[in-house]
Amino acid sequence: MSRIQVDPERCTGHGRCYTLAPDIFDADEVGHSKLLVDDVSGELEDHAVLGEENCPEHAITLSP
Amino acid sequence: MTQTEGYVDQSAVGLEEPQPMYKMLRETSPVFRSGPQGPVVLSRLADIEMALKRTDLFSSNMDAVDLGNVRPLIPLQVDPPEHAKYRRVLDPLFTPREMAGREPAVTALVNRMIDGFADRGECDFHAEFAVPLPCTVFLQLLGLPLEDLDKFLVWKDGVIRPEAAVGAAEHAIAAAPAARQIYAYFERAIDDHLDDPREDVLSALIATDVDGRQMSRQELLDICFLFLIAGLDTVTDSLDCFFVYLAKHPDQRRILIEQPDILPSAIEEMLRWETPVPGVARVAMQDVEVGGCPISKGERISPLLGAANTDPAEFDDPDVVDFARNPNRHRAFGGGPHRCLGSHLARLELRVALREFHRRIPDYEIPPGVQLKYTSGLRSVEALPLTFPAAAP
Repeated sequence: MSRIQVDPERCTGHGRCYTLAPDIFDADEVGHSKLLVDDVSGELEDHAVLGEENCPEHAITLSP
Repeated sequence: MTQTEGYVDQSAVGLEEPQPMYKMLRETSPVFRSGPQGPVVLSRLADIEMALKRTDLFSSNMDAVDLGNVRPLIPLQVDPPEHAKYRRVLDPLFTPREMAGREPAVTALVNRMIDGFADRGECDFHAEFAVPLPCTVFLQLLGLPLEDLDKFLVWKDGVIRPEAAVGAAEHAIAAAPAARQIYAYFERAIDDHLDDPREDVLSALIATDVDGRQMSRQELLDICFLFLIAGLDTVTDSLDCFFVYLAKHPDQRRILIEQPDILPSAIEEMLRWETPVPGVARVAMQDVEVGGCPISKGERISPLLGAANTDPAEFDDPDVVDFARNPNRHRAFGGGPHRCLGSHLARLELRVALREFHRRIPDYEIPPGVQLKYTSGLRSVEALPLTFPAAAP
């Protein structure tokens, strides 16, 4: 089980996370990342990692 | 840092295959003063990332690059915190969701362009596809007459690559006449949209509130000017780079045709590898040191996005082009507050163009003996002849 966080100060709207993992991340009205869930495990955690690892701004973190 | 006597024009060195130059710079002179007039070139991802984020140290203002404009282009040449008020109103017009609504129109346009040469068995991909596609999409998006296409092409080249300009100062002077025509054109376009509002981006901008007030005419002009220089050439460059790559690597092209679902990921990887906009421009706001090298207030710097995108500190096997690469944190659209506003429009155009072109023309090649000539600055080619089996009429 991991907790996901998106740092709004770092996110600039590349959109990589919600394109790659639309079950975890969504776009807000300006196209910045918005979380659909806070805690993930199993397959959803893998999807969250996809978003985290592809964020060019290092705005997404997963913590236990 | 290396000081060179001769002016090293980064745009002329290894444009066709710049990756070895990026590697050489990263390994030998990651902060490289490219001659007395040239910018300080950054080629390590860590330094580039810092420069893109720290707009207090490295500004994107008018001193960073001069395209003949008389006021700062919005939002590129306005830094935070003021920058945010413009991005708040512009970003919603360019979200992936907003762009998805344009997909049917872009698909129809792409197919009309392919109709123009499919039964001929050959085309100049650059002139017949890569140039008119983004320009036509832009005209549709802003709600401008499609017959203005040719004028736009002349002006765009007039500010981005004016003839005979060598250094930055000459560039600014040579770009000024085209810049004046761009302002005059958009003055008229704004009048026309004020009289007759419709469903397009220019009407949306006129109607939008910024800081609780309507945008001024100057602000509208400065946004339109930026759209023109940022939205047309860059997608042309990307299409040229991608199709040269795919023409020269039929095995990779085969992957796109056999596994169409890989296309979005393949586009990200080609953006990384080719980095069609190889560098951006900033100016130092104070005396500062990067990687142990002093940079003086007022000096221009050029973070080389292409070098960041092949830095082994971030990418495993950076010289391998892997359409399934994951993770792929490329910076082809820059990063930090000035992250490319049009990135999702660019992705849409590239995805539709590659999907439709390969659906209809899966096999093509550059005729043997053709020498491609890359233009300076941004990586387009002057002509891209392709031959392919002609479609039945």
